[in-house]
Amino acid sequence: MKMLDVKNVKKVYTTRFGGNHVQALSDVSFSVEKGEYVAIMGESGSGKTTLLNILAALDKPTSGEVLLSGRSIGSIPQKEIAAFRRDNLGFVFQDFNLLDTFSIQDNIFLPLVLARKSYEEMEIRIRPIARKLGIEPILAKYPYEVSGGEKQRTAIARALITEPQLILADEPTGALDSRSTDSLLRLFRDINEEGQTILMVTHSTKAASFAKRVLFIKDGEIFHQLYKGVSSEEEMYQKIADTLTMIATGGARRD
Amino acid sequence: MTRFFYSKLAVENIRKNAQTYLPYMLTSAAAVTMYYIMHALSQNVGLGKMVGGTSIRMMLDFGTIIVGFFSVIFLLYTNSFLIKRRKKEFGLFNVLGLEKKHIARIMTYETMYIGVISIAVGLVGGVVLSKLMFLLLLRLLRFDVQMGFEISGSSMVMALTLFGGIFFLTLLGNLRQIHLAKPIELLKGGQVGEREPKTKWLMTLFGLVTLGSGYYLALTTESPIAALTMFFIAVMLVIVGTYLLFTSGSITLLKLMRKNKRYYYKANHFTTVSGLMYRMKRNAVGLANICILSSMVLVTLSTTVSLYVGVEDVLKTRYPKDITISSHRVTDEYIAQLRTHVSGVLEKHGLEQTNVMDCRMLAFVASQQGSDFITDRSVVNGLPGRLRTLLFIPGEDYSRITGKTLTLAENEVLIYSEGADFPSDTLTVLERTFTVKEKLSQFAGASNLAAITGNHYVIVKDMGVVEAIYEAQAEVYGEYGSQLAHYWGFDLPVSGDELVRVYRDLRANIPEGDASVVVETAETVREAFYSLYGGMFFLGLFLGALFIMGTVLIIYYKQITEGYEDKQRFEIMQKVGMSNEEVKKSIQTQVLTVFFLPMIASAVHIAVAFPFMTKLLGIFSLTNTALFAWCTVGTLLIFTLFYAVVYTITARMYYKIVRR
Ligand SMILES: Nc1ncnc2c1ncn2[C@@H]1O[C@H](COP(=O)(O)OP(=O)(O)O)[C@@H](O)[C@H]1O
Ligand SMILES: [Mg+2]
Repeated sequence: MKMLDVKNVKKVYTTRFGGNHVQALSDVSFSVEKGEYVAIMGESGSGKTTLLNILAALDKPTSGEVLLSGRSIGSIPQKEIAAFRRDNLGFVFQDFNLLDTFSIQDNIFLPLVLARKSYEEMEIRIRPIARKLGIEPILAKYPYEVSGGEKQRTAIARALITEPQLILADEPTGALDSRSTDSLLRLFRDINEEGQTILMVTHSTKAASFAKRVLFIKDGEIFHQLYKGVSSEEEMYQKIADTLTMIATGGARRD
Repeated sequence: MTRFFYSKLAVENIRKNAQTYLPYMLTSAAAVTMYYIMHALSQNVGLGKMVGGTSIRMMLDFGTIIVGFFSVIFLLYTNSFLIKRRKKEFGLFNVLGLEKKHIARIMTYETMYIGVISIAVGLVGGVVLSKLMFLLLLRLLRFDVQMGFEISGSSMVMALTLFGGIFFLTLLGNLRQIHLAKPIELLKGGQVGEREPKTKWLMTLFGLVTLGSGYYLALTTESPIAALTMFFIAVMLVIVGTYLLFTSGSITLLKLMRKNKRYYYKANHFTTVSGLMYRMKRNAVGLANICILSSMVLVTLSTTVSLYVGVEDVLKTRYPKDITISSHRVTDEYIAQLRTHVSGVLEKHGLEQTNVMDCRMLAFVASQQGSDFITDRSVVNGLPGRLRTLLFIPGEDYSRITGKTLTLAENEVLIYSEGADFPSDTLTVLERTFTVKEKLSQFAGASNLAAITGNHYVIVKDMGVVEAIYEAQAEVYGEYGSQLAHYWGFDLPVSGDELVRVYRDLRANIPEGDASVVVETAETVREAFYSLYGGMFFLGLFLGALFIMGTVLIIYYKQITEGYEDKQRFEIMQKVGMSNEEVKKSIQTQVLTVFFLPMIASAVHIAVAFPFMTKLLGIFSLTNTALFAWCTVGTLLIFTLFYAVVYTITARMYYKIVRR
């Protein structure tokens, strides 16, 4: 069953005083099955964040359609958008986006509080997640007191706690050192193996090599895709690197 | 790089930061204007020559000092805000390869331009407005004389020196900060102190105690003499309490709210409580400043307005009769001479006295303890709360004033009390005990001068009893003893200049002998009263405007800083699933709370201070509580309106920043 279906999405940014138009996405179509782990690769400025914002209903496409479990995101009334986002999607951002005013635990609780869950339920939900992510000892601390890797794991916990259909991650390893990157990528793989659907955008070959499928985006279009199949991360890394070289040298397009 | 480059960069910087620099320049200019006007007025030669000119001069001098003092505070405050925001920019310059000495040069140019423009605009404003202010002052003082007013060179020099000095000081401070800071710190300059505030129970408790005792003093102080001595202490306690409660108390309260999990983990409380905690940590001192400033504005304006509006009331209280002749150290022969003199004058003018109050009396102060009145030298410095003035009046004079026949025994008295209670049926003073035959509910001879101590009018059998008491108190009090007095007040069917002419004739050739005699009429003091209270009113308006400016300034910069800080936080919350409405509501609750907390706190301060202020005004003979109440409520309303307008404008700016 298709969990996410993106059909001919186009995005043109118009600067405030009219005039300049920037075409960030020209025609993007792809779909994601339930339980998949998809990475979208592209250079800086290729429209990755734009795409993710549209999938998250944070931004509207100029044309085209996005369906989540068969429901068109564009048809959701403005009033319900926030609740929709809260109930169905989890976010992980490059710069963590934790709130300094909240402790680590309260940061994780935030979406549940907004969903008006009881405190007892929050307590029950956080325990297994915190144990899995190894952040139990820092729950009472504040974001400025913990490392980048711990911050990102907090952000993942915040994304997981609502049990979303889909996790959207924007360059989740972008601000991490290599050791934290490794542990985060393994974590994503484990979560996915437990059944969580993940869509990640990144420009890091390493990060993409952990995904089950990699889509390449260039000039606002999906250019190519690779399946990991049974290959190891190292083999996948090599394949991705080859593909990138091919794209860079203007090689022929094949699907 | 040329000199031209730096100065151009400086101009560019000012223009780019106009949103924060323009208000700073406006404030500086306004402060210069106010200072110039105050100083120029105090230097005005014509004013000094008027009746009451010296006291006005003193008030204006005082005003000049206050304006100067607060200008320094406000400008330093604003500058500290500005430099905090600009640190990041300078850090970037530094990282990009601009040396610190170059940054220093840019800053010097900036300060120079800002200083020169502000002072120039301020002085022009001062010269233009000072004529207007001068006319306003003359009007308030009721001086209808034409007086010259010209540009004051010395005031210009003073304003130039003071504000030039302030700008120079800010420059030095800023240069020092840049010099000491490392580039990384400069880059982070905008975002230090994100740490969660600690709960300070002790401070909170101490704040509660200080505020509580300040309030207690204000509410329980009885007599105005005590009010005057306690005024300073109470104000200090309340200020300290306000600061402590704003800084520590607010955090403690919010932490308590957070401890209650069921309350805290609710969608509408969660973000608000944590947001407020963060805001209070950053803004508590600024908010406490606003609270204190608003309270000052309100007190200054309401008291000076009431005094000015109430001048006629005050005159009525102080001078209930058209003419008052009071003489001390009197004998019967002297009083006879006085009568001849007065009737001679009145005859000459063809006038007849009405509402006559003519009686001898002996007045002295004693400390009341139930029915006992302690007379002791120490009473003079005794507990003001229990100090009472006893006024002994001989029975025959009482009969004459009231037209009632009176039969009192040697040890019987009638009592009329003013501003004090007389609870018992006997009265003991100077080893004599009297039985109170009757407590009068009214007495035509009462002067209404009850403001300073409570008064008991004691009507005794005859002059013989009064003289006996006179001897006894003279022995106890020695050089502080009171003299036998004669008080004579009456109305005349004339007023204005005619009344003044009678008054002059009464004063001329008045018999004196051993006695000391004072003739008074409201007519001649009216002018002095208007010049005194008019001067205070003018000063009140001026300082009120100054404090309002300070309040607006603090609020403005608070909103801007917070807008920039909150922008990112609310973006994150929206990504995590907070709806637009929820974000808006949460912002509104926080901003409203932070904004109106100082206003509400100062309204409470004012309410508590009200009885206290009423007593203080009693010293100025303003006993019209209703008038004072209306003036207080009026100023509070106007100030709130002003505050609300400022809120609306700055809140709109805030939302614009947050949503951008
Ligand atoms: N709000 C915006 N307004 C105008 N142009 C934008 C906006 N956001 C992104 N862009 C432009 O769209 C293009 C794609 O940006 P983005 O999606 O952020 O790329 P990526 O995340 O892959 O680096 C870029 O050229 C960027 O300049
Ligand atoms: Mg991006």
